[in-house]
Amino acid sequence: MEKVVEIKDIEKIYYLGKTEIKALQGVNLEINNKGKFICICGPSGSGKTTLLNLIGCLDRPTRGDIIILDMKVLTLSDTKLSQLRNEHIGFIFQTFNLIPVLTAYENVEYPLLIKGLAGRERKRRVLQMLEEVGLIEFRNHKPEELSGGQRQRVSIARALVTLPEIVLADEPTANLDTRTGETILELMRKISKEHSSTFIFSTHDHKILNYAEKIYYLRDGRISLKEQ
Amino acid sequence: MQKKSIISETEEYLLRNNKCGGLMKITKIFSLALRNIFRNKRRTTLTFFAIISGMVALVVFGGFVHFSFWGLRESTIRSQLGHIQIYKKGYSQEGLENRLEYLIDNFNKVEEELRKMPNIEISAPRLSFAGLISGGENTHTCLGIGGVREKESKLATFEALVEGEDIYGEDEAVIGSTLKKSLGVEIGNYVTLLTMTVDGSINAVDVKVVGVSQSGSREYDSVVVKLPLTTVQRLLNTNSVEKILLLLDKTEHTPTVATQLTQIFEAKKLNLELKKWDELASFYRSVVRLYTGIFNVMKVIIAVIVFFSIANTMTMSIFERTREIGTIRAIGTRKSTTILLFFTEGFLIGIIGGMLGIITGIVVATVINITGGIYVPPPPMMTQGYSALILIVPKVVVYSYISTVLVSIVSSFYPAFRAANLSVVEALRHS
Repeated sequence: MEKVVEIKDIEKIYYLGKTEIKALQGVNLEINNKGKFICICGPSGSGKTTLLNLIGCLDRPTRGDIIILDMKVLTLSDTKLSQLRNEHIGFIFQTFNLIPVLTAYENVEYPLLIKGLAGRERKRRVLQMLEEVGLIEFRNHKPEELSGGQRQRVSIARALVTLPEIVLADEPTANLDTRTGETILELMRKISKEHSSTFIFSTHDHKILNYAEKIYYLRDGRISLKEQ
Repeated sequence: MQKKSIISETEEYLLRNNKCGGLMKITKIFSLALRNIFRNKRRTTLTFFAIISGMVALVVFGGFVHFSFWGLRESTIRSQLGHIQIYKKGYSQEGLENRLEYLIDNFNKVEEELRKMPNIEISAPRLSFAGLISGGENTHTCLGIGGVREKESKLATFEALVEGEDIYGEDEAVIGSTLKKSLGVEIGNYVTLLTMTVDGSINAVDVKVVGVSQSGSREYDSVVVKLPLTTVQRLLNTNSVEKILLLLDKTEHTPTVATQLTQIFEAKKLNLELKKWDELASFYRSVVRLYTGIFNVMKVIIAVIVFFSIANTMTMSIFERTREIGTIRAIGTRKSTTILLFFTEGFLIGIIGGMLGIITGIVVATVINITGGIYVPPPPMMTQGYSALILIVPKVVVYSYISTVLVSIVSSFYPAFRAANLSVVEALRHS
């Protein structure tokens, strides 16, 4: 069985001046099957973002090992990591993080441009993704002309357009009202099944835990598992 | 299922397709960079303004400098040197000490040859001497120049007759304005010229002052005495001439004509040598050096201003876009592509700003020229000021443009590298 994510005895220490802050202490995590909808839950400051950043190859741990899709990512160069992120990991941010000068279409197209996908195929995929998130009519709108929920949909489309195995979403509903947040989670879960991508999202909101198939609790830098 | 490592698969793919997976199409990078430039319109306008001001300064000052070079060159050639001077062989080596031993005696034969050449407008024989001039009470040193009136009048277009009239007959003289003042003579007075003949005896001649000339150079005007060639020949007791000044139809023809003449001198065994105007015009050369120096200093100052204004814009823009940089890096943009993206922004600022600069520069130069140019007061050792026009010199325009673009690329180096080397996590956290 292919291991999607394997985190081995991870420790991450930040230094604030001379104060040592242990964001993660001895975290082990294994995500084996594709297409799961996994939640990392914990109060703010519990290390959720740190953990997601490590899985997303955006940061390096102080100790421990990370294996993503059978690759020891800590040995890879920055260029290879960029390539890995581009082709195998999708990112959904709490603040959407769309590129303001690009339209919805162009924002979704961006990862495919980096990947170097040829014109016609690129267009087909972008339009298909926009269709899936229900924004085909808004494709020529700039982010500032879209509502929060619509922006997050664009962001979901952007994360999934390269058909990644892993999608990381750090508090994807925190900047949305409850109703919109629920729709977004619904959409994420649906797409997760259709694309058989493993979604890992973090939240501190207990109300949305019901959407998850698997929940990890993170408290004071330590992790514990609770199957749904 | 045993799956191969993704990276090795990707590498295989890249090798197979021989293309760079992390590099976006250049057109897309340009389009993105262009949109980013015009995102903060006010800031971009200010940057463009700095570039435009720099370009206008370069184009206008460069045009002014070239006009001055042109004016000085033509006045030097036309009033003093001619385009080419012909002497007896050895004159430039030995002749300055013993001028009278190096005279051209086969002058008529030489003139015959010169008449055959198409680019030569005038060939003016001259015989000069250093001597004394006396107006009765005062005696001064002088530089007597004997020439043929019809030819001299065409040659000295930059020299103005300010009083009296030109030489018409034998034993008449036109003297420099400063010399006239210091001698205390008037038009119609007689002056005595005293010098040594070719065979070493002293000789004197009385000539009538018929006119006063002004060349713009005070030093020249304080010694010059213009005389008919025949008068000077009589005074020096010779039938030869010292040199022949050639005026060509265009200054640009000087090197070609000089080469042709040298060949003719060789072929016909005329025992002559020549000098081109640029070898003789030491004042012109030093002015060119001085102006070029000033212009270079100005170029450096402008380059520094443009450099910092673009670097500042880019740095501010990168600071504002920190989270966006984190985002594009997170979704897989390579460091190299990030650098390229910001580089392109700097490059485009240079390209567009430079274009606007050229247009504005040409407009400003044209307006200055239409409104009569810039009045320049008399330069050192000159007596007359002049109105300078701004020449639009393609070389200067192209040079300024290329430098602006280069400076803009260089100034985006540091901001681009800084952007690419931001920590992705910290950039994403930036608010």
